[in-house]
Parts: sequence; structure tokens; C-alpha cells
Amino acid sequence: MAGSNQPVSKYFTSQVWSENQVLVAVLGICSALAITNRLSVAITMGLSVSFVTAFSSFFVSLLRKITPDSVRIITQLAIISVFVTIIDQVLQAYFFDIAKVLSVFVGLIITNCIVMGRTEGMAKNVEPIPAFLDGLGAGMGYALVLFIVAFLRELFGFGQLFGYQVIPLSWYASAANPDGYDNFILMVSPPAAFFIIGGLIYLSNKLHNKQ
Amino acid sequence: MSKLSNLLASRRQEYSYTLWFMVLLSLVCAIILASLASALKEPQELARELDRSKQMLIAARIINPDGYFQVQKDDGTFVPAYAATNGILQPSEQKITADNTQIAAVYKARIGTFLVNNEGKISTFHEAGLSDDKYLQEYFKTGYYRQPWKLLYKIYGNIPPEGNKERDAIGYVFPVNGMGLWDAIYGYLAIKTDANTVIGISWYDQKETPGLGGNISEPSWQNQFHGKHIFQESPDGKTNFKSAPLGITVVKGKVSELLGDSPKALSAVDGMAGATLTGNGVSSAYQDVLAAYRPFLEHVHNEYVQSH
Repeated sequence: MAGSNQPVSKYFTSQVWSENQVLVAVLGICSALAITNRLSVAITMGLSVSFVTAFSSFFVSLLRKITPDSVRIITQLAIISVFVTIIDQVLQAYFFDIAKVLSVFVGLIITNCIVMGRTEGMAKNVEPIPAFLDGLGAGMGYALVLFIVAFLRELFGFGQLFGYQVIPLSWYASAANPDGYDNFILMVSPPAAFFIIGGLIYLSNKLHNKQ
Repeated sequence: MSKLSNLLASRRQEYSYTLWFMVLLSLVCAIILASLASALKEPQELARELDRSKQMLIAARIINPDGYFQVQKDDGTFVPAYAATNGILQPSEQKITADNTQIAAVYKARIGTFLVNNEGKISTFHEAGLSDDKYLQEYFKTGYYRQPWKLLYKIYGNIPPEGNKERDAIGYVFPVNGMGLWDAIYGYLAIKTDANTVIGISWYDQKETPGLGGNISEPSWQNQFHGKHIFQESPDGKTNFKSAPLGITVVKGKVSELLGDSPKALSAVDGMAGATLTGNGVSSAYQDVLAAYRPFLEHVHNEYVQSH
């Protein structure tokens, strides 16, 4: 855990890499499995979680001195869900196109363990600004992992990146050319993310041990 | 302020404090959410309605999925267009993204709302003795196709109306709904006046898995419906409009590999990898809805044959 004499920006950077919530704490796995088969979707989710984690950490930290210990989790959950609902409602009224994409994620964001992990693990102990940065960093770290996983899954599962074909269609197996390339169907389904995230955790452990 | 927070902090362990804290927190949260919901109800309703109009125009190929209007030239190709007065479209060089008022104007000029009964007879809400607002709201969830009077939209040509004369339709739009994998799915299907060829489709409300079943609302997937036939052709190349199976099937895999050149391929589209159940839901939605409109479709087809 971060010490007390560090610069405020350290709250942000440590969360992105050295204390990455997905790779080090192994949190937020369920949503990382569910929505990483397309890059565009993964980025949307990563940014929304960053936004929500940052602001709910901020508000949890503001209320930290008056929150009774016995009901702190419920308080955090209430703040998080109010916050997510506000975003969803405003988007539905004024940015309908974005809301259509995001509304599927609302449930996933509220139940994302990273959001509660950061409010409980950090925000209730520090000042609002560091809490905000810590939350933002945790969200960005999550977004980074989602991006890597989605990149691999979309590339090998669909032969595409951001919905654009990158593996030439002429490479693909067809009736005339049965020995051609085929998409790796496992990549499309959620279990593939297990293997990729497992590999990433291995890699990050290796790198951290070297330091 | 700090005095207050110190006072509060010192009392944090008391039961009554905890109780009051929770009551107050719930109250504040509830007030925030309730006032927000009622304040935003109207803009949300408007946004939803506008999106439905837009999605219907996408199915009718009057708006491109990228957001600009388009008109069909005589050779069948589509060119960008802008909305002039009264919602009439003029070809333009640039792709101008349509704004909300333009979409509403074009919708008003090009789409007419009607009802059709089990004998295939078209009528207006007034003639059927129904209130349109009430009808549209009440049967949205169950599906209009289950009602004795079914909802039908006419697509009008890109010409201004002449007086009070009823205008000729250049196509029809059916509201389609069914069950996807996770929840109900809602969309539109637009067909030409031969009652068989699909102009386009759209799905405007669905909660399918993003990136998998959610692709049913992607233009790239929707585009393959253009030119498909809703009546399945017999092996001899003819279509028996009285008995042919109705609907468009989403196959598991690629149509070209599974069906090749067989007549069934004309009424089938490629499935989405990893979303077989959503595909099945889409197939049965078309089947169920179109079956209810069969008398109307036969009727329209006979008229079409007579006039050509």
C-alpha cells in the first residue's frame, strides 16, 4: 500500500501498473471476461469504470469522517450506484446514441469489484484528491488490461481491429482454398480471456520480481 | 463546519447515529434519483421516440446508418441528400449529418402510420376507432402483431403530397419484436411493394451481449438483409405466396457455405460467431411477426402483380 510521504501523482501511477487491480489484485475479472471480444466495447467499459471509480472514490472520501464503520460498505454501494444511475439517466436524455451502447454496462459497472475495492481499500482512508487519483488510476489500469485482452481477442477471433478487417480476406479458407486461414473461434467466447489474463498475470509477476 | 464534523465523528459509534445516518443517506439518494428521473422523463421520451423514427428511416434506407440522408437514383444506387422544406430530400455532394429536427420532418413527410386487420385490410386509427397514442403505448411490449388490428407503416415516395389524396406507398415497414438471448428485442423490417423483397432492417432496442449478439444493431450485419426475400422460394424457382414459409433465417455460420445457391439462401443471412441463440431469436421474431401479416402480404402481392 502507498506510503504517506509520496507525491500525490504516485496514487495514480502505482494503480496503473505496479498495483494493477486486474493483474496484481485479480479483481474485476468477470467483466474482463464478458466484454473484451471487441476493442471498441472494451475501451467504452474501461473509460466508464475509470470515471465511476474516480468520482465515487472522491465522494466516499468526502463522507469518510461522518460514515459509521458498521454501515460503510452499504454507504459506498449507495454512492456508487447513485452515481452510475445519474450518468445513465443523463446520457439517455441528451446523448441517446452513447446511452444505447453504455446501458448494457451499467449493471456491470456497479457490480465491478474494482470500484468497491478502491473505495473500501483506499478512499475511506485518504483525502478526496488522492482518493480521486487513486480511483482514476485503478480504472485506467483496468482499461489497459482490457485493451490488451480485447486487442488479442478481436485480432484472432474476428481477424479485425475496431471492426476493420486487418487479416486479409484472401488468406481465409474458402471452398476453393480449404487449407487457408481460419478465425480462432475460442477467442470469441469468454474462456479465451481466462487464458490471456492468466498469461498477462504471469508476465507481470515476472517483470515485478525482476525489479 | 469542522466543529460539526468533529461532533459527528465523536458520535460515530452510537447506534442511533448509525440509524439516522442510513435514513438520511437513503433519503438523499432517493431524492436525487427521483427528482432526476422526473426531470429527465420528457427529454428521455423524446430521445427514444426520435431514435425509433431514425431507426425506421434506416430500415427504409432513407437515412444511412452513418447519419446522413440518402436518395435512390433510377439505377438503384444511393446518393447522399439533404432535407429541403417539407422533408423532401434533394441529392447533395456532401454527406451532411442529419439533425433532430430534420429527422422529424423527413419522418413526417415519408412515413404514414396505419393499421391492418386479419383480412389484410388497411385502415387508419380513426376508421378503426382506436386512439393512436393509447394503442402505441399499450401494445408496445406484447407486440402489435398479436392484436386484431396490427400496426403498419407506409413509406411514401420522395414527393410532396397532392391535396388530401391518399398517397401511394413505395414500401411498408413492420414493427418486429421477439426474444433475444437476454431480453426482448425490438426492430423494424421494411419491404418493397412486391410484398417480398426486403429494403432493410434495424434493431433499435436490444440487450444482447456487446460484441456478440449485440451485433444485430450493427449496420455491417444489418446490410445483408437488403434484397432478401421474406417468402421462401420453392426449388423450382417460383414462390407460392399462399403456402411458402415466411421469414428470414439467421443461419449458424455462413449462408454461402451452408446453403450455396439453393432457394433457401435467398431467405437466409449469415449468423454471428458466438451468438447462435440471438440469431435464433431474430429468426423466430421475423417468423412470428410476418405470419400475422400474411393475409396483408398476399393482398399487396396480388395488387402488385396486377399493376405490373
